[in-house]
Amino acid sequence: MLITNEYTMKQIQIRFIICVMFAFSSFHFVEAQTTTANETDSTKNANNSMVQVAYRKVPQSNLLGGVSVVNIEELTKKNYSTYSLDNMQGYVGGWNGNSLWGMDDYLVLVDGVPRDANNVSPTEIEQITFLKGASAVVLYGSRAAKGVVYISTKRGKAGEFKVSARANQGMNVAKSYPKYLGSSEYMTLYNEARANDGLSAQYSANDIYNSGSGNNPYRYPNVDFYSSDYIKKTSNRSDLTAEISGGNDRARFYTNIGYIGVDDVFKFGEAKNNSTNRLNVRGNIDLTINRYIKAHVNANATFYNSLSAKGDYWKAASTLRPNRVSPLIPLSYIEKNDVNSLTLTDNSANIIDGKYFLGGTKVDTTNIYADYYAAGRSKWTSRQFQFDTGIDIDLVRVLKGLSFSTQFAVDYATSYTTSYDNRFAVYSPSWTSYNGKDVIASLTKINNDKKSGVQNISGSSDKQTIEFSGQLNYVTSINDSHNFSATLVAAGYQQTQSQVYHRTSNANLGLQLSYNYENKYFVDFGAAEVHSAKLAEGHRNAFSPSLTLGWKLNKEGFLANSSVVNDLTLSASGSILNTDLDITSNNSKYGDYYLYNTNYNQADGAWWGWYDGASEHSTNSMRWENKDLTFVKRKEFSVNAKTALWKNLITADASFFINSMEGLIIQPSTTFPSYFSTGYPSSSFLPYVNFNNNKRIGFDFNINLNKHIGEVDFSLGLTATYIKTEATKRDEYHDDAYSYRKGHAIDGVWGLKNLGFFKDAADVAASPDQKNPVKPGDIKYKDQNGDGVIDANDEVYLGKSGWYGAPLTTGVNITLKYKNFSFFALGTGSFGAVGMKNSSYFWVSGDTKYSEVVRGRWTEATKETATYPRLTTESGNNNFRSSDFWLYKTDRFNLAKVQITYDFPKKMLQNFVVHEISTYISGSNLLTLSKERKLLELSTADAPQTRFYNIGFKLVF
Amino acid sequence: MKNIIKLLVLIPLLAACDDLFTPAIENIRPLDAMYKEPTYAQGILANAYILLPYSSSPNSDAATDDAVTNESASSFLKMATGSWTSNNDPMSQWQARKNAIQYLNIFLANSDSVIWAKDPLIRTMYNDRLKGEAYGLRALQMLHLLRAHGGWTADGKLMGVPIVTLPETPTSNFNVPRNTFQECVKQINDDAATAISLLPLDYGDISDANIPSKYKTLGITNAGDYNRVNGNIMRGRITGRIVEAIRAQTALLAASPAYSAGTTVTWDDAANYAAVVLDRINGVSGLSATGATWYSNATEISNLASGVNPAEIIWRSGKDNSASAGGLDLEKNNFPPSLYGKGRINPTQNLVDAFPMVNGYPISDPLGTYVLATPYTNRDPRLTKYVLVNGGTQGPSNTVITTGTFGTNNDALNKENGLSTRTGYYLRKLLRSDCNPDPNFNTAQFHYTAYIRYTEIFLIYAEAANEAYGPTGKGTHNYSAYDVVKAIRARAGVGASNGDAYLESVKGDKDKMRALIRNERRIELCFENKRFYDLRRWKVNLNETAKGMQIEKQASDGTLIYNSIDVEARAYKDYMFYGPIPYSETQKWSQLQQNVGW
Repeated sequence: MLITNEYTMKQIQIRFIICVMFAFSSFHFVEAQTTTANETDSTKNANNSMVQVAYRKVPQSNLLGGVSVVNIEELTKKNYSTYSLDNMQGYVGGWNGNSLWGMDDYLVLVDGVPRDANNVSPTEIEQITFLKGASAVVLYGSRAAKGVVYISTKRGKAGEFKVSARANQGMNVAKSYPKYLGSSEYMTLYNEARANDGLSAQYSANDIYNSGSGNNPYRYPNVDFYSSDYIKKTSNRSDLTAEISGGNDRARFYTNIGYIGVDDVFKFGEAKNNSTNRLNVRGNIDLTINRYIKAHVNANATFYNSLSAKGDYWKAASTLRPNRVSPLIPLSYIEKNDVNSLTLTDNSANIIDGKYFLGGTKVDTTNIYADYYAAGRSKWTSRQFQFDTGIDIDLVRVLKGLSFSTQFAVDYATSYTTSYDNRFAVYSPSWTSYNGKDVIASLTKINNDKKSGVQNISGSSDKQTIEFSGQLNYVTSINDSHNFSATLVAAGYQQTQSQVYHRTSNANLGLQLSYNYENKYFVDFGAAEVHSAKLAEGHRNAFSPSLTLGWKLNKEGFLANSSVVNDLTLSASGSILNTDLDITSNNSKYGDYYLYNTNYNQADGAWWGWYDGASEHSTNSMRWENKDLTFVKRKEFSVNAKTALWKNLITADASFFINSMEGLIIQPSTTFPSYFSTGYPSSSFLPYVNFNNNKRIGFDFNINLNKHIGEVDFSLGLTATYIKTEATKRDEYHDDAYSYRKGHAIDGVWGLKNLGFFKDAADVAASPDQKNPVKPGDIKYKDQNGDGVIDANDEVYLGKSGWYGAPLTTGVNITLKYKNFSFFALGTGSFGAVGMKNSSYFWVSGDTKYSEVVRGRWTEATKETATYPRLTTESGNNNFRSSDFWLYKTDRFNLAKVQITYDFPKKMLQNFVVHEISTYISGSNLLTLSKERKLLELSTADAPQTRFYNIGFKLVF
Repeated sequence: MKNIIKLLVLIPLLAACDDLFTPAIENIRPLDAMYKEPTYAQGILANAYILLPYSSSPNSDAATDDAVTNESASSFLKMATGSWTSNNDPMSQWQARKNAIQYLNIFLANSDSVIWAKDPLIRTMYNDRLKGEAYGLRALQMLHLLRAHGGWTADGKLMGVPIVTLPETPTSNFNVPRNTFQECVKQINDDAATAISLLPLDYGDISDANIPSKYKTLGITNAGDYNRVNGNIMRGRITGRIVEAIRAQTALLAASPAYSAGTTVTWDDAANYAAVVLDRINGVSGLSATGATWYSNATEISNLASGVNPAEIIWRSGKDNSASAGGLDLEKNNFPPSLYGKGRINPTQNLVDAFPMVNGYPISDPLGTYVLATPYTNRDPRLTKYVLVNGGTQGPSNTVITTGTFGTNNDALNKENGLSTRTGYYLRKLLRSDCNPDPNFNTAQFHYTAYIRYTEIFLIYAEAANEAYGPTGKGTHNYSAYDVVKAIRARAGVGASNGDAYLESVKGDKDKMRALIRNERRIELCFENKRFYDLRRWKVNLNETAKGMQIEKQASDGTLIYNSIDVEARAYKDYMFYGPIPYSETQKWSQLQQNVGW
């Protein structure tokens, strides 16, 4: 009872504070708008080296670790990019392209509001802060517990009126295409596969010859999806951006208007018109209303349209075999007196270019070509509106050093797809030879032409975010040596998504207390009281503390006058964060709330009936209760060192961290019978419990070197992030010690060890039971536990998959400036992870399309040199399972970016309307260095990876 | 601007703090909500109906000598060719049966507290019936659990499964030993007896005069009250008659060679239980004349009144004619590819050879006059009803299907991977020719799944009576194994010309009669998921290679040449007469002993 009261009290307090802050903020805002602004004495623009961290900005020099920052505004001057987080691992440590410190999630905040990173372009961004350490995100509460990427957009500055425009024209060029076999080779090898299975040949020598000869590709198709008949070598991307900013001491504004247009590579059908475009307008206003009150308003609107033909070409390209259908067949092959066939084609709604009809067979009743010509098109439309506003009030009249800020945001996004879905007939020809010429003897019509003319609307969804925060700040300094600052924050946000009943919510109170003695000794205490409605009453609040100690050695006497060391800061922090991020159900249908409760449910039960026609819902248990379900904890210890040497010739920042995510929730399967849960009807008697633990140890650093060498400005940046993960507690039970996931990386790849190919029947007979029918040429596996059977118990740990980034991520960036030229290059590397060649490009069996890998297949003659198992038309269960046979290392180094920029000399532009002109050319994703380069550059069922070449201009008026 | 301000003030007020401070209200209910809400309570029982152990497609037959499948990823194909292990068991019943039993136990523990009706008498009748259903369903679920997992352990005992009759909670002790097979059989029989005492023989509206005496003495005088609980609208649920049939199935299993040494159940018991069911239709004379083609009796099926069973059927699923589900699924999967099917289940030559000649003699008997050059002529008429052979017709236009290698479309043997037949035969049983899977038509027809057929009970009786009383012995009943077999063969049109001379020739020989009964069972119940367990309870060869027929056309004169081919080798081991306890469970619970060999 006592505990309940205590928690209730806290809840009431949180609510009260938030509500008061709202009342307060609204009130002041209204007043602010009606008050005539006073002259202000000081609105000096912000210090350039100020870095946005949680709810405040701090001088870069006073950062105590766990935070990295990239100045995008500066970067964009030498490196134009198209995505906000593009290759950020090349500039900062701790971010590996997918995650912060290897964690499985992160929160993106744009101007403090949870938003999508891909809806803000690099030209709109001033700065991106990577809040990696637990100490850096503690104030943001539960949903930020795995790190925050904070994107700050540009703002207007007083005293300047600036108009600039930027135009880019770029093209994407495919790096490589998959290499599938042509018809005759495919047919030959398919016959071989049939022979291996004891079946007779499917294709006659005549068919194979004719397919190879190409004399009549309509009767003997040999479809090459990557042929220039169908796709262009390049696709284009253009963008235009205009930025206008300016203002005075009272009001400042910034506007960015951007347009992006991207086309596609297809040359035919409806797909010719595939395109995506985006238009956005972003604007913000900063107002200094009077000496005490400042306000800002930010708004953004984005419009996307994407037009596409129905169907997935690249997926079709990876599955449709070359000899199966001829997609377009000339009408001229139909015999002139074959009235029946001519009647059929006369009535077809889809005669292409007036001379081709759509081909098909009873088995392949449609194909992607026919789809692109006849199935119609769809248009995806997305609209995003974002609005936020805030107010800063200096409460000096209440207490010197006291101020109050609040922010409120409303975002709304909606998207839907409109489409015309046409059905169409294809025609299966039956060929004959007549006087040595191929003619179509008859046509069979498959399906019917049907254009409904009805526009279908689907995939309609919308999402709304409401965010609010209020904070009291206090800064004081005693004798200029004891510097205190304190911040008390109340914050929350909610995201509502259509068709999702529960909302994503975050609510917490935060307290930051900082003290330093003469900017030499630092103590930072951050804490959050987090609240989660996902947990049982009495368990909904938790306290997350974080303590950081820092020491600026360069301020000590022994280094104060050092000519070498300009800055040397050491810090260490320890934190325990509580989060409800991982409190999620296995079944998304039931949401993430009430997981602590027993729940019987009839609404989602399976239907059942008895006499013909009755139907009712079953009543099913969804879970057993566990009122003790609690927050997952991120426990972390980290140390950070930061230095600047030889007059900032070298600056470096390094972190070491060890963290443990504890109490990840599961429905324990090793302690309860398997029948306690079933998939159909969806049912479970298992409770959710906090159980699994994961540990991560790692370090990151970045080193920058800046030097003038003669007339050349040279700078070099090196970054690295290394993460070692370990499952430290798991719900598992195995017969063999090596099977335990515990003690291995959490992104472990597991599989069998291969022993090469079976040599002959005697080898098969003498080997353990593979639990599949095997023949010579199949992969032989190691029986790890010696039980004479190859099964899942023989699977061992094979390596790390790099789910959240490779174990080691590195970056290097170089800038050279000579006169008006600047050269920029960026390289990124990732090392230590493995991949499995398990796509249908490699796992070829049954009726899958054959790629070039099968050329190395095992045959009696090539048994010594074979690189691929024997071919089969059966399932290939034995060969195509996770094993080290298919494993490869994904180690790679990428030349991610090269850009050369030329700034026209300002002298030239004197008295000209344009003040600055710069032009640049760049190339992205130019080169990959890797043992497995071909594999890494290959996309099989998706659009090919591309190199991107761009030319751009920037004008400042 | 003003509007924005308004918005700013209003939105925090409008957006209630649902999910922020307290979770938005969800319809979370405890179990005891069932006491006041009968449909909610009935929903608990429903799980056992949803999880009935019957399949509408003949999947498991592809793991026997009756058929193969052309779906290379089929788990039954993998099982038959060697992948069957205790942690990869497509036949496992553990999950579904035990889950159903858990729900039944929850239901039985709470049914008495449910206010089924305001009137106490009607509430009593409801409670009787619903509990009767639960007991009957528990017997059924248990039987299928026992059949899939019962077996001999290393210490030489025939074990069943742990008997659980009370609801389990997360704090229950799960580490309990298996009960013996015999104890499980007793549990089934006890549940069956309770169910029979509580359930009506059949549901149906009655008149006042026919109210059962047990309810009459309670004070039920109005047939309407009775009909509300046990009338027409309850048809399709489990009945006393069905539970009697389940009892016969249980006894047959327990008396079979694979289990008899570990049970006290005799063939006499099995014959007696079967006779209880058969006597209700006056024995052999009740055999439905059209029962052998129950799935395609078009008029009979379309005229079926709601919940009513044809004469052949003891229990069936609801009938379905939806083109996206049960009305066309079987045809989509099993029609030959030229008719837009996937040709999935391919009957084997082994099965085709099991059909006798129309004169009743096996094809191996010289008196059968089997001619290899015309293998499908003068055969048991059931052959071409159940199996689509080369030159047979199928589909709404009676299209001639050519499976010979000379065929020009994908119907030909092994022509198209995953579509063509691998054996030279396509399935015909269970399918309706008046369906059309051609996407231009998508014509569906009514189908139902036969859960239990009288023919099966007749065959149980024949098998048991032959063992207990000899081919022509009748025990305490009015008919013998011989009588049953004669009637079934006569219905099929076998031996009509010669008084079924072959049957006459074996009626003095119990062993030959046994072989004949097993063969009749194979034919009559083919593609109804029976063969897999029949082979096991008889402990006969599991590894007969599945064979097919390759038919070629002689170029010179067009005559057909028939060559039997091996299609798929079976890789069962002797211990696989009995299924495994799931690996994950034996790992968790030390008391749960595995069957020998697994």
